[in-house]
Amino acid sequence: MSRTLRIAVAEPSLIVRSGLVAVLQGLPGFNIQIVEIGDVAQIGVSLCRQRPDLLIVNPSLVGASAPGRLRGEAGCSRLRCVALLYALADSALLKEYDETITVFDTAEQVRDKLLRLAADSGEEPRQEALSAREKEIIVGVVRGLTNKQIAEQLCLSAHTVITHRRNIAAKLQIHSPAGLTIYAIVNKLVELNEVKDTIVDER
Amino acid sequence: MYRIGTYKETDRMSDLICENYSMLLVMSRFGIALGFGDRTIGEVCRAAGVDTRTFLAVVNLVLSGEGAPAADLAFSVASLIDYLHNSHDYFLDFRLPGIRSELAGALGGGDISVAILRYFDEYVAEVQRHMRYEEEVVFPYVRALVAGGRAEGYSIGIFRRQHDQVEARLTELRDIIIRYYPGGSTNELNAALFDIFSCAHDLAAHNRVEDELFVPAIEALERKERGRKP
Repeated sequence: MSRTLRIAVAEPSLIVRSGLVAVLQGLPGFNIQIVEIGDVAQIGVSLCRQRPDLLIVNPSLVGASAPGRLRGEAGCSRLRCVALLYALADSALLKEYDETITVFDTAEQVRDKLLRLAADSGEEPRQEALSAREKEIIVGVVRGLTNKQIAEQLCLSAHTVITHRRNIAAKLQIHSPAGLTIYAIVNKLVELNEVKDTIVDER
Repeated sequence: MYRIGTYKETDRMSDLICENYSMLLVMSRFGIALGFGDRTIGEVCRAAGVDTRTFLAVVNLVLSGEGAPAADLAFSVASLIDYLHNSHDYFLDFRLPGIRSELAGALGGGDISVAILRYFDEYVAEVQRHMRYEEEVVFPYVRALVAGGRAEGYSIGIFRRQHDQVEARLTELRDIIIRYYPGGSTNELNAALFDIFSCAHDLAAHNRVEDELFVPAIEALERKERGRKP
């Protein structure tokens, strides 16, 4: 399995955090990217910025309802939360967590748990190909049309145009109109002289 | 063997630079010249008229990974502002124009080249806005605060909330070129991409200095100021 698993480790103890990170890094068969969060107050901000697939955190630091709250704050509903336990914990505390790792787990046990979580998160099939409609919308954007103008031209609702634009950004990993312009020219969707000089980003 | 822990003023400057060549940038932004022989960081800083604690605060922050404990805020804010100002000059007057001319040379002419350079120019304009705001609004406010006054109607919290990641659109351009550029890869284009990678890294480090040293230090100053004026 070669998919990258992005893991945030939120743990104030440097020794515990570094130890866990060292174990994760040594796991065979995983391609792991780590975000270390030493300050528990920074978890929300960090998750927003880094958007990991997985958060490992001690539930006694953030509370039993933290998974739902953090998913909301960070705007990533697919975030998996793993409880990191130093000692025996009440199962009520762990209800919302997707998995638990204890400081006594072997590397093998940690690996199995991660494998299970990675499978659960259901690797989304990568849909890179754009639909014909999406290409029309890109052309509108790089010509400098507003969402409303694009909607009128294509007989769609403005809401639909916005949804298309969001999907385009997700498929191409391009979030700015200037970036879409480069894409459109490379793929011969437009000629340079059709492109508006400065494009107002209204998203 | 690798080094553990932070740098202290009794460490040799040459060790710091040789072990972390990116610290050349930090050094020159503080106005420290090469040719310091075997002298320690403290000696070199004093000779150059640089506040040693500020220099070490920046060095140790930039070298520390994410999740490091909060930095020690015992440094000179005035000295840090000088450093940030010189960093702005470096990016706007040297680094970004250099990358632009590399890109222009590597891409040749053609529509794609025009579109990429246009993106780059928009990005540079955004960085300019971002840095000019700091120079014209934030730094004067902080200088007044350090001098004992308090400009009404502004606080560093405003800056903290709207301080965005200035490197984000540069990494987007890099990814677009890597994923979609149709021409072959050439030495020139690779060199431009290498520089974009390293510049984005420098910009992220610059932002960390602002978010983790500058802003907390100013917040501490503001708290002190509030305590004084009931």
